Amino acid sequence: MNICGVLVHARPENIDVVRERLLMVDGVEVHGSNEDGRMVVTLEQDDNDRMADALFDFQRLEGVISASMIYHHSEETEAHAEEVTL
Amino acid sequence: MKQTRREFIRNTAVTATAAAAGVTLPGLNGALAQEGDGIRWDKAACRYCGTGCSVLIGTKGGKVVASQGDPDAPVNRGLNCIKGYFLPKILYGKDRLTQPLLRKSNGKYDKEGDFEPVSWDEAFDVMAAHWKPAIKKSMEENAGKPADQLTSRVGMFGSGQWTVWEGYAASKLMKAGFRSNHLDPNARHCMASAVGAFIRAFGIDEPMGCYDDLEHADVFVLWGANMAEMHPILWSRLTDTRLTKPGCEVHVLSTYEHRCFELADNGMVFTPQTDLAIGNYIANYIIQNEAYNKAFLDKHVNFTKTPTDIGYGLRPEHALEKAAKNAGKGKLSKISFDEYAKSVEPYTVEHASELSGVPKDQLLRLAKAYADPAKKVTSFWTMGMNQHTRGVWMNGLVYNIHLLMGKISEPGNSPFSLTGQPSACGTAREVGTFCHRLPADLVVAKPAHRAFSEKVWKLPEGTLNGKVGYHAVLMHRMLKDSKLNTFWVMCNNNMQAAANLNEESLPGWRNPDAFVTVSDPYPTVSATAADLILPTAMWIEKEGAYGNAERRTQFWRQQTSAPGDAQSDLWQLMEFAKRFRIEEVWPEELLAKSPEYKGKTLYEVLYENGQVNKFPKQQVTDDRGNKYDNHEMEHFGYYPQKGLFEEYRLFNSAPDIIKKGHEMAPFEAYHKARGLRWPVINGKETLWRFREGYDPHVAKGDGVKFYGKPDGKANIITAPYEPPAESPDEDYDLWLSTGRVLEHWHSGSMTQRVPELHRAVPDAVIFMHPKDARKRRLRDGAKVKVVSRRGEIVTRVETRGRNRPPEGLVFVPWFDASRLINKVTLDATDPLSKETDYKKCAVKVVKV
Repeated sequence: MNICGVLVHARPENIDVVRERLLMVDGVEVHGSNEDGRMVVTLEQDDNDRMADALFDFQRLEGVISASMIYHHSEETEAHAEEVTL
Repeated sequence: MKQTRREFIRNTAVTATAAAAGVTLPGLNGALAQEGDGIRWDKAACRYCGTGCSVLIGTKGGKVVASQGDPDAPVNRGLNCIKGYFLPKILYGKDRLTQPLLRKSNGKYDKEGDFEPVSWDEAFDVMAAHWKPAIKKSMEENAGKPADQLTSRVGMFGSGQWTVWEGYAASKLMKAGFRSNHLDPNARHCMASAVGAFIRAFGIDEPMGCYDDLEHADVFVLWGANMAEMHPILWSRLTDTRLTKPGCEVHVLSTYEHRCFELADNGMVFTPQTDLAIGNYIANYIIQNEAYNKAFLDKHVNFTKTPTDIGYGLRPEHALEKAAKNAGKGKLSKISFDEYAKSVEPYTVEHASELSGVPKDQLLRLAKAYADPAKKVTSFWTMGMNQHTRGVWMNGLVYNIHLLMGKISEPGNSPFSLTGQPSACGTAREVGTFCHRLPADLVVAKPAHRAFSEKVWKLPEGTLNGKVGYHAVLMHRMLKDSKLNTFWVMCNNNMQAAANLNEESLPGWRNPDAFVTVSDPYPTVSATAADLILPTAMWIEKEGAYGNAERRTQFWRQQTSAPGDAQSDLWQLMEFAKRFRIEEVWPEELLAKSPEYKGKTLYEVLYENGQVNKFPKQQVTDDRGNKYDNHEMEHFGYYPQKGLFEEYRLFNSAPDIIKKGHEMAPFEAYHKARGLRWPVINGKETLWRFREGYDPHVAKGDGVKFYGKPDGKANIITAPYEPPAESPDEDYDLWLSTGRVLEHWHSGSMTQRVPELHRAVPDAVIFMHPKDARKRRLRDGAKVKVVSRRGEIVTRVETRGRNRPPEGLVFVPWFDASRLINKVTLDATDPLSKETDYKKCAVKVVKV
């Protein structure tokens, strides 16, 4: 399991089209954005190489001005199906 | 509430990202990942660039298993770039060096032999056996000479990636121990022009502003800095300001289009070298429109000029050097405001546009932004301006603009030189690892500075060498000419980094008269070109400190152990000093002045001097009670990092220091803080220097004081446009510029070993305009030779990539050890800073 939280900047007028482009990348979810062009994105990939490729892919997407990694979790076990109580 | 672990982690990722973004998302659980799973978390400065991000390092079972951007860090506020994301993997490359390797034949050292593993004892024995005769010969050559004429045959090439105390220990070993000023850092290739300009304009090194300017400025101007790829976290902060502050604009100047043009309101591609004309045009515009700040100029500025026609720092017999009227000269002379105004008068918008190729309206828009008193302007630059045969001049032209307007030393008004390496400032510049410097901005040429340093270091009077040593480029020339005979390269990859590899670097290193040692964690191009390779403990395998581009000093604790027999640079330097008796390195008459040193080793004189060994062994802990190893403390029996740092503070923070303004906090303070920006006075850091209210060195009522200069005034220095050393012609019809890419840091010695980064960008390609490709009948991806008068490489054409050069210019990154672009580049340097111009030479591109 690989999960990464990414802050993406786009020009506010481009947010919708950049969201579409981001969603084309396998494993991407866009959780929200604001009017200043900041988007909260997660990327999820179990395979390490595909995860890395996807991260590089959206660095290079047209309209993405900057993409910064915020949070990363990686584990190789199958523990992710376990339930946790909060 | 029940959820799967996957959902829990996904929520954590979203929460952390939303918090860093300042985006409110409904229905989020606020819980962030806490320490758990037996992972110990601690802060460290990132290993890569001069931005100086803080990262959290998670260690489990002695191995680094996780990392993330540090949410408490003022620099990066939890953000991490793509290289930083994979950061811990740099420790675990498959080909880590774990034991010393010496070239041998038949069981003995042989320069033409193959590398064989040896013990540290054998490695240092063989190394010392080469250093001792070279030092002996130097002592004979120096007999009877005064201190300012001493020469040496031993040298070291250091690094802006050394930790602060490693650079300091090296400086002390070379300058005090071996009495050689042939110590220069790889920062010579990247920051020397910036340093030269700081000293000329302000009399004290490093930027007056800080990263807070990123939020305060209304206008950003990038002069030769591709921040989007080279400083992505600062770029993210700049982007945020541009997108959220009404009226904010971004101007980008470059010799080719790059990723920053995506955000640019005014993107300008200029012909190489003509930034000099653009800089002068802006000054002229400000004067013609009487927009300058007269009160500021009257009180705080001197006008000066610099000698012109100064050559290109090539070998003296080169035709260009012979033709130069004032080769290498830089002494300033005072002029009046009117004379200054007249000197920039020829730089009209028409003239600047004609030379640079930038349309007039775009130049005008840029000039107006600087000239508008209501707009706060921050200028950023990096290698585009520093790696320039007129780099010191060009840095100065930007200071001229800021000084004319008084737009300096206050939030948002900031001429800001960014750095490439993590401690180019903190180590290379501040502790005196340049061939002309001593710690804390002191210089070897001044007898009073040498005398002060001798007192701090407890050396007999006259120990320190007053003659400026060989700079980086000269070192390779002197190795080739057999004047430099032993060379130790630490923490950098200069065989790949230095220009003109074929004609200078390789013949120099492989000269039978030379013995070259390279200390590195990996078998780099440099290591494999050496005679002896020493395996190095890197980054968080030792306790360390870096100083970033905004004067922020940051510490980290040792997080993990180095593999095999690898040892830190600090261990190597101090252990090597044990191999020398003081009689073998100092002449009798010097030793006679300090008879108590007779019979001692260099190690005892330099490091067991009651200062470096002052702090006893202790358990290193953090404020949560976690425990950390310190390998060097264990080995030497005292706390050497603390002792070295506290001795260094005698240069910058003691009551009797020569140059104020570099004050630092006590050692322990930095382990607690996310870094502190010097000068640190009474525990308080300084954000903007030279201005009352921000800088404690400026007295009440003074307003602004450039206290690096005796009269408290900064220099405006006029300098004209002069042509580059080599321009395209019929035979070599293209400009070549070199540089970096986002995924790789510098020479790729670390990032090429991270599988994900290597896979993303495995090879250096040549970026080219589609028309230039068509003219040569080259398709995208075609195999080509890039040829200059000095050498050639084979690579592939890219016409649609992230970099879009104009017709007539090509760009090749230099990270790729299998395609060494420095076989092609020219070692022309700025004659004042001795920094190489990697950004322009003439090449041709032909189909293979």
